[in-house]
Amino acid sequence: MTTVTKTDVKPSRASETATVRRKLRGTTVVSRALQYVLITALAVFCIIPFGWLIATSVDSQAGNILQWPTFTVDHYVKLVTEAGTLRLLRNSLIIAIGATVLTMLLGFIGGYALSRFRFRGRRFFMFFVLLIRVVPPTATIVPLYLMMTKMHLNNSLLGLILVEAAALLPLTLWQMKSAVDNVPLEIEEAAWVDGSSRVAAVIRIVFPVVGPTFGAAAMFAFVGAWGDFLTPLVLLQSQDLYPLSIGLFRAFSGFNQVDWGLLTATAIIYMLPPTILYMLVRKYLFKAGLSGAIKG
Amino acid sequence: MSTNSAGITLAGRLPRHKLKNRRNARLLLLMLGPSALLIGVFVVAPVIYAFYLSLTNTTLLGFEARNPKFIGLDNFKYLLGNGDFLSSLGKTGIFIALSAIIGQTALGMISALLLKNKWMRAKGIFGAAIVMPMVVPEVVASLAWASMLYSGPEGTVNMITHLFGMGAVAWLQQYALISIIVINIWRGIAFAMIMFQAALEDVPDELIEAARIDGASALQIFRVVTLPLIRGPVFLYLLLTAITTAGIFGLVYFLTQGGPGGDTQLVALFIFDRAFQFSQIGLGSAASVIMLVIVLILGLTYVRVAKVEV
Repeated sequence: MTTVTKTDVKPSRASETATVRRKLRGTTVVSRALQYVLITALAVFCIIPFGWLIATSVDSQAGNILQWPTFTVDHYVKLVTEAGTLRLLRNSLIIAIGATVLTMLLGFIGGYALSRFRFRGRRFFMFFVLLIRVVPPTATIVPLYLMMTKMHLNNSLLGLILVEAAALLPLTLWQMKSAVDNVPLEIEEAAWVDGSSRVAAVIRIVFPVVGPTFGAAAMFAFVGAWGDFLTPLVLLQSQDLYPLSIGLFRAFSGFNQVDWGLLTATAIIYMLPPTILYMLVRKYLFKAGLSGAIKG
Repeated sequence: MSTNSAGITLAGRLPRHKLKNRRNARLLLLMLGPSALLIGVFVVAPVIYAFYLSLTNTTLLGFEARNPKFIGLDNFKYLLGNGDFLSSLGKTGIFIALSAIIGQTALGMISALLLKNKWMRAKGIFGAAIVMPMVVPEVVASLAWASMLYSGPEGTVNMITHLFGMGAVAWLQQYALISIIVINIWRGIAFAMIMFQAALEDVPDELIEAARIDGASALQIFRVVTLPLIRGPVFLYLLLTAITTAGIFGLVYFLTQGGPGGDTQLVALFIFDRAFQFSQIGLGSAASVIMLVIVLILGLTYVRVAKVEV
């Protein structure tokens, strides 16, 4: 049966493509070629600035201009053998992982509560949290600095983690609330009837369903905390606590000679985690519509 | 939902799930409390504190540092008569209008429309290339452009403009504002593209096909068929990008630190400068409050227009 249908379909499809190909003449070809030129130009515009970063990070004659590299891995070797850069990397990891874990823990539990509980002020709370997302960090950084100093939380990785998590939470709460909304309560109830406790039902039934959203939300949280520049710039004073963003800035704008090779190699290492994470959740990124989920 | 107006119930109608109110309240507090506390202390409190500080002459150093005084609206009066602040507001407006509203929107829309073509190959590669600027941390984006815009004739941009017979230009000195506008367009094409791709999925192919058969040109189809159908999402995107662009700091600070001569001092950099370079906390807070009010108005419009369902 199936083979018959297949052979039935084949010729018609072939003739279809043939007609399409025949139609592809004159204006269509020119128009398509122009569109390819346009999209290629846009793509080149978008990636050309990375050319210098990549080339210089493996160039023994590293400088601040784009040139064909004389290949070497010295800069990367220096990076992993030098205490300074490794400390930057360690601090960045502590801040980003700490903020992500805290955000996802509170965000999942809070999002579940927002989805499953009905209480007075719930709508207000949701709107309020949404509105908070538009507050730019630059607008609160001055009072935040004074408050953190008074609470003795400035110049500490813990303090920075708390601030980052608070900034990330509004988005996470919304994402997790919407995800739990999509799990029918009946399924959860069925598990209670089977004798599971409420917590066990959440872990066994709800969590696997919201897993993909949880993963994507965690990625957004990690990338957000990993890339932040302003908050550590203001809150951290001792060099030992600097994350990569501040370390790169100081190395770039310092008065001493800039080590371009090490600087670009560090920048490459710094951009790898968010790049890899984005590529992993790319399908979700392009399909989910995610109205406003990325920025901020 | 059978909800006692003052009480808290779990979703679902079965009476046995209506636990005692007090127990539910405690459970809710336990689950939502930590999030609310964190947001309250590190986001909401600073906003309120900014309003308070803006009415004082608080400084980090000097005599006022020990006993700040309440000075009413003096900071606001000063700012609204201060050329530096007004020009930073204007520059922020130009920055948002040219980079986010015009540049990112136009190029994002073009990318989304091109990548919608069924016949196009290597969409994945083009898409990945366009997304890269958005994906990397802002510090890396700025660093990459520092080399692009290098003032010598060997700078990448200068090499390209040389092909068109132009001489070398010190971009970050002579055309600093234009430079950061281009950089921000570069960084934001992907976000616009993704938002528009999602919107374009709701435009039925038959409609476009019908218009094409009727002999409409691509531009006509876009203007008459596509654009009216995606007007809502596009407007929401414009609000969203205006809000996020208003807060941009690192991308610009890394490259120019507001210079040269204040040419790229957007409001965000003005606040930072006043508060942390000149330690005028009160004045910096007043500028923050002005920024907050503008952004919150945009945000309220967004929530209204988007008809967000809770």
